[in-house]
Amino acid sequence: MVRLVKVKPHIERFPEYEELDWIVSHAIGVDQTSDAMRFSQVLAQAAVIRGYESYYYMRYDDSPERNYLPMIYYVVIGNPKINVLLREEIEPVGHLFNVIAVFSSNYLIQRTAQRALLFDGAKTNATLVVNTSLSPDAVISLVKKYSLAQDWNGKVVTISSSKIDKSIAFPMIGATLRGYEKIDLDAVLRALDILGLEKKKDSVRKGYEQAVVKEVNIRAEETEKFKTMKHEIEIPEFDGKYWNPEVYYAYQKAAATAENYVQRIAAMPRWEVLAPGLIEFGPKPGDRNIGFTTGEWRFQRPVINYKKCIDCKLCHLYCPDGAIDFNPIKVDYRFCTGCGVCVTVCPTKAIEMMQEIQAMEGLIDEEVPVKRFEEREYGY
Amino acid sequence: MSAVRPVPPITIEKPVAKVWTGARAIAEAVKLADVDVIAAYPIRPYTGIMNAIAAMIADGEFQAEIIVADSEHSQFEVVKHAAATGARVFVGSSGVGLMYAYEAMLVTGLGSVPVVGVVGTRALDDPGNFGMEWTDAFTTRYFGWLISWPRDVQEALDMVLVAYRVAEDHRVLQPHFVALDGAALTHVAMPVYPPTKKQVTEFLPPYRPPYRIDPMDGPVTKAQHIAPSLIGPEQRKRIDVAMLKAKEVIIEAWKDYARYVGREYPPFIETKWMDDAEIALLSMGAYMKDIELVVSKLREKGLKIGTVRLRYLRPFPAEELVKVLSGVKAVGVIEFGFSFGSPYRTGPLYHEVATALYEADERPKLLDFLFLGGREPKPEHFIKAAEMVNELAKGKTFEKKAYWLTLRGEDI
Repeated sequence: MVRLVKVKPHIERFPEYEELDWIVSHAIGVDQTSDAMRFSQVLAQAAVIRGYESYYYMRYDDSPERNYLPMIYYVVIGNPKINVLLREEIEPVGHLFNVIAVFSSNYLIQRTAQRALLFDGAKTNATLVVNTSLSPDAVISLVKKYSLAQDWNGKVVTISSSKIDKSIAFPMIGATLRGYEKIDLDAVLRALDILGLEKKKDSVRKGYEQAVVKEVNIRAEETEKFKTMKHEIEIPEFDGKYWNPEVYYAYQKAAATAENYVQRIAAMPRWEVLAPGLIEFGPKPGDRNIGFTTGEWRFQRPVINYKKCIDCKLCHLYCPDGAIDFNPIKVDYRFCTGCGVCVTVCPTKAIEMMQEIQAMEGLIDEEVPVKRFEEREYGY
Repeated sequence: MSAVRPVPPITIEKPVAKVWTGARAIAEAVKLADVDVIAAYPIRPYTGIMNAIAAMIADGEFQAEIIVADSEHSQFEVVKHAAATGARVFVGSSGVGLMYAYEAMLVTGLGSVPVVGVVGTRALDDPGNFGMEWTDAFTTRYFGWLISWPRDVQEALDMVLVAYRVAEDHRVLQPHFVALDGAALTHVAMPVYPPTKKQVTEFLPPYRPPYRIDPMDGPVTKAQHIAPSLIGPEQRKRIDVAMLKAKEVIIEAWKDYARYVGREYPPFIETKWMDDAEIALLSMGAYMKDIELVVSKLREKGLKIGTVRLRYLRPFPAEELVKVLSGVKAVGVIEFGFSFGSPYRTGPLYHEVATALYEADERPKLLDFLFLGGREPKPEHFIKAAEMVNELAKGKTFEKKAYWLTLRGEDI
């Protein structure tokens, strides 16, 4: 029997990072890597033009060669210098982010690539920029329900980017300028010249003009997320015994049920409980591995119409993630990445893809991506 | 007669820094050096460099032969042979990919072919670990390659240009790696001022090997089969001496680089606050930025501490290090590599430093701080290291030589 202890996890804040300005963007890997990169590159170059030391980079842990994997880009703007090394795994803790740019609205209701809440690590006056056709009010109510558990006195900026430019980065840049003051439109237009992107000036201008801005004042206690989330986790009490599968499972469960970044890190095992030889204790036959869920990659989900389903099992056989139960046929949404292979192989067209945000909240967002193969970027 | 037209005052606009990743900056250096042949095979973090070069060639900015090989082994073979025919070449890899190329690499070294390459450092895989560790680059110490280690993206670009100059010098003629801390340098974009094409052309003359494999020059054989008893030791002695000579070539090259490009660097060791330091933290690469931040804050509190950054691992600046650290009471070595079961369970940089300091008249005490498996240290870990080194200087005895400050669980 494993004895569990309740802990309230905590990570020290990082004052050197909080002194800097951060623009963090969340995007869908492969489909939006090049958008997030362009977005960050232009803003960083514009900040340099205005005399700030400025860096941009992608979170190194992300593997955008895998379809739909959530990914993060950072722009860091010094005040005016950056005296600290920027690590790739920035812990979203304390008050870092001035701007949170969301390229696809499914990140309003899912956790980020770091399995953090969208607002983990945000400054209290942060601006949330969302590429969406939803209204700012709709965005605010989604955020309160799913991804905000702290005070927020900032702004929401929404922009329907793909109506302006297929490269959604550029309208997004314009929209960002409406909620972040250190970089101005002139600096961005000069940066576009330097980067050989003169043709995109119009898209940036239109993004700037068409963005919808709304002020927000919310206290943590008012959010549904704060009320419903647990603030403690249970991890095994270390008793000096090594390599015990039950201890391992207890850690795994703590990590799987962690609700934010700090909790997930606290649920990582100490070295003594790792079995020799990179052994991970797998799930029991018939179960799935709760230590490796992939459901949060999804911006669309397959929905089975059982009236048309002839129970041929093809979707079960072809599912690359083993996320469809055999008997009866049923999608396990903890593991479904929303790739759509099942839709393609279904002989009776019994499966349809539905936007995740529609399935969860009944909303339809015209900006939730259709696949854009010509814009895809692979490799790292 | 018309009046003399007033001449507008000349305004020299300060160039705007380019915000480039380490990968992009390296690619620009390759372009500036007018490299002829590039061999590529993807592995993160080196992939970024390969992509950046390929994009430049595809966009017509830069003309060179890029060969995507079927493996790292072939990749290093391609450049070895191309360089032997007189081409200026570029290559690179990371982690286990680099390991796969070892055979080709060591023939490149023993064959004195001045290939220039980049290692984007990466953990040697427990499957999938692409975190930053130094063990891949450190394991190439035995092959007759020069190895240098930049602190930021600007220095990485500069170091690649200097690497060509040093490697191709007839007193050296050995291959040269520039080791970039994976992720921290290869994939972070920061402001860079690239030198102009004219500056580089003046600094870096074309590659002219003394004997190249080209029928036009008359028949030569390179890297022929060696009968051990006939020229085994003599062959190696030439490289041993080349490494010795490389030291003067490196000093000259950096002086010239400052003259033509206008950026100065100390050739082997960069020190800060060492004039009156009683204790020191020593390391290489990108994390020096955090180490220096921590040390500058500790100095404000009155602690006499300094920092030492090695810029070259091969040739190792032993005499220079002894000079810097003689009389210092205690030194903490901060490193990202390990050798399991090594003396006192320490890392390879510690071994190098300890060997060098053995010859010092006043040997400082040493502690090793290991950051392994790709988990990144934070400033708080370097503060802890500095505190431990301070205690060591004050006479506290430590049970071990090496400490794993980012480990979860007991550090036994």
